[in-house]
Amino acid sequence: MSMWATLNRNVFKRTSTFALAIASGTFFFERTFDLVSNTLFERINKGKLWNDIKDKYE
Amino acid sequence: MTSVVRAGHLAPYFKASSPVVSNGLKIAAAVPTPTDKLVVKPLPKTSTVQTLHGALPIQGLKVKAGAKVPVQVRFAHTDIAVPDFSAYRRKENQDPRVKAEEHVDGRHSFTYLIAGAGSVASAYAAKSVVTQFVSSMAAAADVLALAKIEVNLAEIPEGKSVTFKWRGKPLFIRHRTPEEIATEKAVPLESLRDPQTDEQRAQDPKFLVVIGVCTHLGCVPVANAGDFGGYYCPCHGSHYDASGRIRKGPAPLNLEVPPHTYTDNLLIVG
Repeated sequence: MSMWATLNRNVFKRTSTFALAIASGTFFFERTFDLVSNTLFERINKGKLWNDIKDKYE
Repeated sequence: MTSVVRAGHLAPYFKASSPVVSNGLKIAAAVPTPTDKLVVKPLPKTSTVQTLHGALPIQGLKVKAGAKVPVQVRFAHTDIAVPDFSAYRRKENQDPRVKAEEHVDGRHSFTYLIAGAGSVASAYAAKSVVTQFVSSMAAAADVLALAKIEVNLAEIPEGKSVTFKWRGKPLFIRHRTPEEIATEKAVPLESLRDPQTDEQRAQDPKFLVVIGVCTHLGCVPVANAGDFGGYYCPCHGSHYDASGRIRKGPAPLNLEVPPHTYTDNLLIVG
């Protein structure tokens, strides 16, 4: 529970730090989310994408 | 007393209706009332909102005034049971004897974590929407593909002017001879209608890159013609020199030099 206490008192309680945490969290969230969704898309569409058939034409 | 004197003809009525004594006070009218049992309804057995509200002494209230009747109304609710909110409380708050500071961080950080995660997700969504909207205003890929051309300069012989098509317009690339370069560098600026030095127009003095549209009315000039050995517009007789500068005729400006860069022996226009 001390982790929650540190988080609450240092980050969440003050609006400035909370907003900063949201902004920086968005930065990392965007990268991970894009990476994960791209990987998922490529796994689902494996064999249909240009990268998979490129060596036939080059 | 003065009012009685003035309204003399009304005086009997005043006397009859309100007896006046010497200190100005009315005589208290003592009205005997039967002593009823009173006043606030007994508390209901079940504590629902409706029954509690009906038990409040705020409506249908009958208060008897009189000497023997107690007229106080009780607003102290010490006898009303506190409603049970335990169904709405969090687990940590169920026991009222535990101090709040022992579990406030856990409760607050959970709430803030939910709000923060929602804000992160919505900020990401808003950023994606704005990015897509803004990038929809950018040029399409097929337009961008046509926006630049690469020219192999080794294929242009010295003294020749070659025409390419660039963004729908003719593009003249001229490989100038050393004599032409020397002539253009020696032209005094005062004699020019649109004064530009040769260095301003040709990055590499061996090659001149201009858009082949006459600045007069937009005809395409003819290369290696005219009085100055550069370009000649047949429509109205504008003479350009080997640096694309207007020297004679109706055109007001020099031929336009597009943005271009050199890499090794490639020229990239655009």
